[in-house]
Amino acid sequence: MLTSPTGAPIVTKAMLVLFAILFTYPLWAKYVGLYDYLGIEIAIFALYALGFNLLLGYTGLPSFGHGAYFGVGAYGYSMAMVELGTSPLVGLLLAILAGAVSAGLVALFLSHRRGIYFALMTIAFGQIFWFLSIKLRWLTGGEDGYLNVLRPVVELGSLKIDFGSNVTVYYFAAVLLALMVMLLWRVVHSPFGTALQAIRMNEVRARSAGYNVWLVKWTVFTLSGAVAGLAGGLLALTQESAYPNVMSLHASGFVVMMTLLGGGFVSFWGPVVGAALFILARDILGAATEAWLLWYGLLFIVVMLFEPEGAVGAWRRLAGLFVRPARREASPKVVP
Amino acid sequence: MGMVSSLLPHLINGLALGLLFALIALGFTLIVSVMEVINLAHGSLFALGAYIAMVIISPDLVMLGAAGELYGDLPLAVRYVIALVLAPLVIAVIGFGLEILLRRTYGKKKEYGLLLTFGAALVFEEAIRLVWGPAERVLPVPPGITGGFIFNGMIYSNYRIYAMVFGAAAIGVVWLFLNRTPYGAIIKAGAHDDEMVRALGINLPRLRMLVFGFGAALAAVAGIILTPIWGLRPHVGVDATIPAFLIIVLGGIGSFWGAVFAGLLVGLVVGITGAYASDWSILSMYILLIVVLTFRSRGLLGKKTALEL
Repeated sequence: MLTSPTGAPIVTKAMLVLFAILFTYPLWAKYVGLYDYLGIEIAIFALYALGFNLLLGYTGLPSFGHGAYFGVGAYGYSMAMVELGTSPLVGLLLAILAGAVSAGLVALFLSHRRGIYFALMTIAFGQIFWFLSIKLRWLTGGEDGYLNVLRPVVELGSLKIDFGSNVTVYYFAAVLLALMVMLLWRVVHSPFGTALQAIRMNEVRARSAGYNVWLVKWTVFTLSGAVAGLAGGLLALTQESAYPNVMSLHASGFVVMMTLLGGGFVSFWGPVVGAALFILARDILGAATEAWLLWYGLLFIVVMLFEPEGAVGAWRRLAGLFVRPARREASPKVVP
Repeated sequence: MGMVSSLLPHLINGLALGLLFALIALGFTLIVSVMEVINLAHGSLFALGAYIAMVIISPDLVMLGAAGELYGDLPLAVRYVIALVLAPLVIAVIGFGLEILLRRTYGKKKEYGLLLTFGAALVFEEAIRLVWGPAERVLPVPPGITGGFIFNGMIYSNYRIYAMVFGAAAIGVVWLFLNRTPYGAIIKAGAHDDEMVRALGINLPRLRMLVFGFGAALAAVAGIILTPIWGLRPHVGVDATIPAFLIIVLGGIGSFWGAVFAGLLVGLVVGITGAYASDWSILSMYILLIVVLTFRSRGLLGKKTALEL
């Protein structure tokens, strides 16, 4: 089987399961009370959280201002579509570029930091972007948002892709998510991925082992920002607009919550599971009560108290109950 | 009219703001030093303290019956002082509760504790919205400290001067508490080496609980003084926490004078920028942070700590 340099397969069983769920979703969603638009949101936030977990779960760098790069991507896409009149694909490429450039600039100030200083600095930079998006009214539309980013109809030869339909946008987002899953899986199982985990375990020792820690941190932050930019661009495509609120401290906290809720510290799949749970719970609670954030906060406190390794951690523990101890010892502990 | 005298009211605004930011930051930094937890609910406790003070100052008298009428006859100044004492105590008790919840996360990844406080922040903010509604409310203050006066052709607000004096006094009290009482010595020892403190026979869990409550109470005091200037909204806490975070980083984590100095610096920068370009006053604070940290990576007075690992 085709493997990466660290011996991990390029395509795994878990991936095939995900792809099966992902690409059949519009066929069965309506029978279980879900709908296409919800699927788009889950795909977008899964993408966002996967990129975020490169930092949090793999490198151990807590970024609390990641909404900035998501937002920059959303504005980048919107401006490309409206001001330059590009196609959605070019718009998304520009969104990725915008996310990468802004994250790359910020990372220049961050890459020699860790722990609480790193967290507080990311908050500060996140707030700067949020603040600018509100104040630069002529550029971003201020608090009203950047509006009228219409979903286009794209003609590729005889093929006509109508982005006006939610099903089309869903499949588009699903394909991007599937590609990104494969790409990021490959990244974390490359020598670069090993360097990330070395930095998480012990930064000083990683440096002694010859890694250029500063450069690795800068690169992973920029890469994570690029993925966030792509997710932001997709959201702008879906919503036909971009707003400052995705950059707020709360919104940046939500992606951390998604990642941990799923179990980003213990599994590659944590962020995907977490994003799905987060969006589903928001819909269910939101339908039942106006104050869904209150219940959300309580739910989150309970998770942090009793199952901080999230859904994947809980699953592994449950599965562990049914496995004979001998086999449990034999199977190596999976590092995310 | 000279340049200085035209700037003076803005300087006073800046000083008042800076001292109160420093007070929030001190509570925050105490909690970080002793428990190694970034308390993201700090701003919500700030807001909640102000809302509770509002209730204590002007309670729903009909609901309270005869006792309420008696209480309502008390002068506003008396009720204000009662609120200034009682509301921080209530917040301290809530702080105790939060610390008890946090105990399960000690010794695990730092993010768990941090995210627990983020959850708590969501709960407090939504609870405020549910109880007091999303609209802006007013925290009443006694007539003696409202109004203003004209000096040298410039208008000065009495309340800003009161806030400045109060902020300075409160910081002084915290300093005396930390440096001139045995409790302060224990807290500082706990921040330095908690294992050793435990070995000396001091009840470490109780120490942590008290420090968390004390830090929360400081946020509540700052909330009661600041919200008459800012207005009382459910998310006013965020406006207060962000400057407090910045001040901690700017001053250096765990440093008392670093927090006070950085608080004053941020207050003055915000105040003076506010005089010329009020829209950009908040941004100037971030730029200050980036400039300082580019040259002094641990803030102005920070030392290397275990928190960076």
